Parts: sequence; C-alpha cells; structure tokens
Amino acid sequence: MAKRRVAFYLMTIPALLLFFAFHTFPALQGIYYSFTNWDGFSDSFDYVGFKNFINIFQDENVLNSYVFTFKYAILTTILINIISLLIALGLNAKIKAKNFFRGVYFLPNILSVLIVGFIFNYLFANVFPIWGEKLGSEFLSQNILGNSDWAWIGIVIVAVWQGIAYNTILYLAGLQTIPQDLYEASNLDGASRWREFWSITFPMLASFFTINMVLAMKGGLMVFDQIVALTGGGPGRSTQSIAHLIYTGGFQGGEFAYQSANAVIYFIVIVVISALQLKFLQKREMDL
Amino acid sequence: MKKTIKPVMVSLLAMSVLSACGSNSGNNAADNTSSGGNSSGDKVKIEFFQNKTEAKATFDKLVAKFNEANPNIVVTQVNPPDAETVLKTRAAKKDIPDVVGIGATDTYKTLSGSGLFEDFSSDPLAESIQPAYVQMLKDLTGSSELNGLPFSSNASGVIYNKAMFTEAGVTVPTTWDEFIAVAQKFKDSGKNAFYLTLKDSWTTLTPFNSLSTIIKGNDFFKQRTEGTVTFADSFNEIAEKLLKLTEFGQKDIFGKGYNDGNTAFAKGESAMYLQGVWAIPEIVKANPSIELGVFPFPATNDAANNKVISGVDTLLTISKSTKHKEEAKKFVEFLLQPENVSLYINEQKAFPAVQGVTQDDPTMDGFKAAFTSGNLADFADHYIPSAMKVDTINQAFLQKKDVDAYLKQLDKEWDKVADRK
Repeated sequence: MAKRRVAFYLMTIPALLLFFAFHTFPALQGIYYSFTNWDGFSDSFDYVGFKNFINIFQDENVLNSYVFTFKYAILTTILINIISLLIALGLNAKIKAKNFFRGVYFLPNILSVLIVGFIFNYLFANVFPIWGEKLGSEFLSQNILGNSDWAWIGIVIVAVWQGIAYNTILYLAGLQTIPQDLYEASNLDGASRWREFWSITFPMLASFFTINMVLAMKGGLMVFDQIVALTGGGPGRSTQSIAHLIYTGGFQGGEFAYQSANAVIYFIVIVVISALQLKFLQKREMDL
Repeated sequence: MKKTIKPVMVSLLAMSVLSACGSNSGNNAADNTSSGGNSSGDKVKIEFFQNKTEAKATFDKLVAKFNEANPNIVVTQVNPPDAETVLKTRAAKKDIPDVVGIGATDTYKTLSGSGLFEDFSSDPLAESIQPAYVQMLKDLTGSSELNGLPFSSNASGVIYNKAMFTEAGVTVPTTWDEFIAVAQKFKDSGKNAFYLTLKDSWTTLTPFNSLSTIIKGNDFFKQRTEGTVTFADSFNEIAEKLLKLTEFGQKDIFGKGYNDGNTAFAKGESAMYLQGVWAIPEIVKANPSIELGVFPFPATNDAANNKVISGVDTLLTISKSTKHKEEAKKFVEFLLQPENVSLYINEQKAFPAVQGVTQDDPTMDGFKAAFTSGNLADFADHYIPSAMKVDTINQAFLQKKDVDAYLKQLDKEWDKVADRK
C-alpha cells in the first residue's frame, strides 16, 4: 500500500510544482503588481493601494472592451454550437467518404489562428469587396473590418469558421456514444426525424453540450489572436477585447500595474461565469 | 556500453581539437581582453534588435559584412513584428538585447528613462553625429544623458507621383489652399488625390503629426502637462484639416492598410500619398519605374512655416547589462562608419544623422531646402504618452467626424493617463 502511495506522490508533486511555478506564482505576482504603479520595466515602483481598481471603473475603454468581448463571446458560442452540431449530425450519417469529410472539417483547427486571421484579413480587404461590387451592394463592396459598427461581425465570422472544427469533433464523439437500439425502437414507434432529434439525440448529448458551451464561451472571452491579425482592435477601439486591452495597454502603453488590476478583475469575472454556466447546464443534465 | 562510449570519446576529442584551432586563430590582444570570461576560442554572440521591417535586408547586408571582418564576433539581427512592444516585454524580463536600433519614440524615452541603456555623452562616437539630432534626443528624454547614437533620420510630408502631376498640369503646392485646390482638381477629373490607409490606425499619425507640429508646435504638449492649455481650445484647426483630407481619398478609405496603400500608390491609383520617406523603398519595389517626388506638408497658408517633419528614425544604443560591451561597441562603431551609413541611407531613402554623409537621391529634392536651412521639426506623437493611443482616437474620429467629441476625448484621455501615473 505504502509503495503505491509513493508512486502517486511521485507523479503528483512534480506536476504540482510546475503548475505552481508557471501558473499560480505568476498569477499571485499579477495580483501583487495590481496594487503598485509599476510601468513594466523601471527598477522602482510605489505601492498605491486600490487606486488602479478605482481608475478601472472610471475608464470607458475598459467598459467598451467588456461590451465588445461579451457580445462577441455570446454570439460565437451560439453560432459555433449550432453549426458544429449540424455538421456532426451530417458527418455521423451514413454517407460516402465519411472519413474524408471528417478530415476536411477538422482542417481549420490545425491551422494557427494568426495565419487564418491574416488570410481572412487579405480576403476581407481585397476579395470580398470585389464580390460585393458585382452584387451591386454599396455595403458589401467595403471592407467590413474597416467599419466601426460591423468590424466585430467580421471577427465573429473568422472565429466561427475556425472554431466549429474542434466542437464538431466533440459532438461526433458524443453521437457515437448513443446506443443504436434507441433509434431502432423509435423507428418501430414511427417517430419523425425531428422528434427523434429532440427526444433522443439532443438529451443524450447533454454532457457534450455542456462542455462545448463552456469551452466555446471560454474561448470567446479570451479572444486575442484573431483581433491582432484582423483589426488590431480598430477602427478606433471598436473591436478591442479585454485580453487585447490588457496586453496593449500593459506593454505598449507602459501601464503594467494598471492593466494587472484589469486582469485581476477579469479573472474574477471569468471564474464566476464558468461556475454559473456549469451549475446551470449541469442541472439541465440532471433533469433528464 | 562500450559501443556508446566510443563515439562520445571520439567527438570529445574532435571538439577539443576544434576549439584549439579556434583559439589559435583569434590570437590578438584585443580579443583576449574582450572575451576574458569565456573559454578560449568561443565566438562572442551579439544580438542586434531593430524595429524597422523595411530595413531588414539592408541590415542583413551590413551584419554579414561585419561578421566577415570580425571572425570572433557573430552578430544576429532580430526584427520581430510589433518590435517596440516586444522590446518592452523583454525589458520587463530584464532581457535586453546587446545592441538596439530603435526610433526616437515614446518607447525609447521610457526605456532610457528607466536607465536601461548606456550613456554616450562623453563617448568620442557622439562627436560624429550631427548636433541637431543629439539635441533632439536630449529634448525628448529631458535628461542630460545621451542614451543613444542617432544613426539615420527620416522625413515626413507628402509623396507625389510626378507623371500624374504633369499630366494634370498642376505644380507642387506650398500652402494649404493650393494643396486643397490641387486635391480638388484631381477629384474633379475622377482621380484620387490621396490613397488613405486608415485601416492601420498608425497611418493617421503622418498627417496628424505634420498638422499638429506645424500649427501648434511641440511645446504645446509641455504646456498641456503644466495645464495651461487644452486640446479643446487649441486643436480645432488641426481636427478640421485632418477631416478635410478624407474627402479626397479613394473609396473604402477605412478598409485599406499600409501595405495595400504602398502597392496602390505605386500603381498610380492616387496622385499623392501622405507618408514619410520610409514608404519609398516599398513603393519602388512594387513599381520600379515610378517617378516620385516629395514636398513638405503644406499645413498652413504661410509657406515659409511649413516645416518638414523629421525625427531620429533609427538610433543605436547598447544595453547597460550586456556581457559583451566591447564587441557591441565595435558593432555600433562599424555601423556609424560613413560608408556603411551611406549604404543604408541609399537603400532606405533615409537621411543620415552622421556628419559628412549626404542623401543625394533626386527623389528627395523637395526636402533638400528644408534640410539645408534647418526648417525641421520633430514628430508630435513622440511627445504624447503612448498609453493614450492617439492613433486609435484619430481613427475613430475620422469615422465619426465629430470634432467637438474628438477634442474632448483627447483632453480626457490625456488627463486619465496622467492620473494613473
């Protein structure tokens, strides 16, 4: 017995140390800096108490980035889950070249977000406007990323295009776990396809639905690379996400401590949202 | 076991032979003192970090030349995208490159203010630099130390397509009214006067800097810090003129970026381009046969007052914490030699900061008068805290076109950043 316990500790302690060194310690450091006025490179700094936090609540750039990030995250979460569930259902059906199609749909997940972003950046600037012009639409013949009201939709399109790949795979895995005899039984009872989906497939996928919703929402709230590659937060600050604001303000703007305070607040917000999401969605699973 | 030991022994032997050769070849006194801490024969590695993507190939040539002449030193060039931010993050980690090439910007100001760079004020190398640029650095940092050696300077105004000007029968404008008349003439004939690249927010700064520096002067920002002036009662004319320029751009001015603009202007899609000389190499790359000219940005109707905006485009500096000060110095000294400066300025269409070298490209004739008479002024945005992100404020303003809101926002952001210090 004792020997086995040693083995477990041997596995756990290095992981714990690594996790502490590269995750917990920097996080604690960030909390410490959020109470100072360090600019990120000077030798000295002062302790300023809650000044940074008070200033955060008076900064409309912060509020603006929260508004953008949340509307972006909610819309991408919904779109990614609907589309990837549909694709997963299609890929799970009895079709020819099933594995080929599965590979094709997974492809976007392999590409780096930055590369996808730069490709779409080019398409939005030089290709889509030409198509829009042919359609005779004044609106579509402009680069959507240059429009402060619509640029965020451009980012949603790219994020959804890439995001569905991973969630499709999770849904596909979920679909494989549903026992076939349930469908056979429903066939005998003469259930319609629609009824079959709502009464068998969707409830059986409940736990996968939960994890996909949480993952997509988390990804949406952390959005950073897409912004860098597509708009750089512009036009103005209309597509500046919270992570992008923390990075640019903290390092380009030389306000490391101030943005650390922003990051601390954001950390609390994300923890609360994830907890709520899990609580709400898992309760739905129980009800079945 | 024996099988594995044998190759290891052989390779160890081989390595000791090789290192012996190395120490023999580099056997002069200077090298011995400089590589004191190293085991004999190791090459000293110097990292040269610079922020101009346009200049990467030119610096590669210079670095190769240096490495060839100095077999004991290996200089590697590092030129990441968004280099100023990378430099700041590395400064936060106390991992500063040995030699840094950077513009005289707010980043330079804050980093040198933190005491990260060598002081060159009593260095003989500083004597070869034009005093005006040395003064510019001191004005920017407000310190008596000289933390960098100006290498090249730039000039910003208007670049124009000579063939299109001849075809339209217009001459180079020297006042704001003439400037707008020329732009209107191009617009009336169905052509774009400017190619605007406002998707990249920083490109709003080129006209902004000219307008702000010529109309208000850079002392404004000092007075703003003291609280004797505000943007709201001083920047009206600048805002109006900035907005006026957007009327003469191509369709979809917010959808195109700097790279799109360089190509489009090179292909003759607009008669003028509101950029500095740093864009010229890229334009010529896209269309080698284009005939380009430049003229100072006519921000006011007083032609004599329309200065060329010129700043230190690249200054060279050495990290205080470098372990190879001698070698780093040697590389900086090499770059500052007149023949290397002239290679650089010819390829980059920049202006030399080093005495005894001149920029003789006929494309630059339009700026020559200003350079000889000293009718120059520094970029306004070097005096604006970078946390304010004035470029994104400009970008939003040009979309919303609300002058009052824009001026109020400038004041508000300035105060907010000052309060957070």
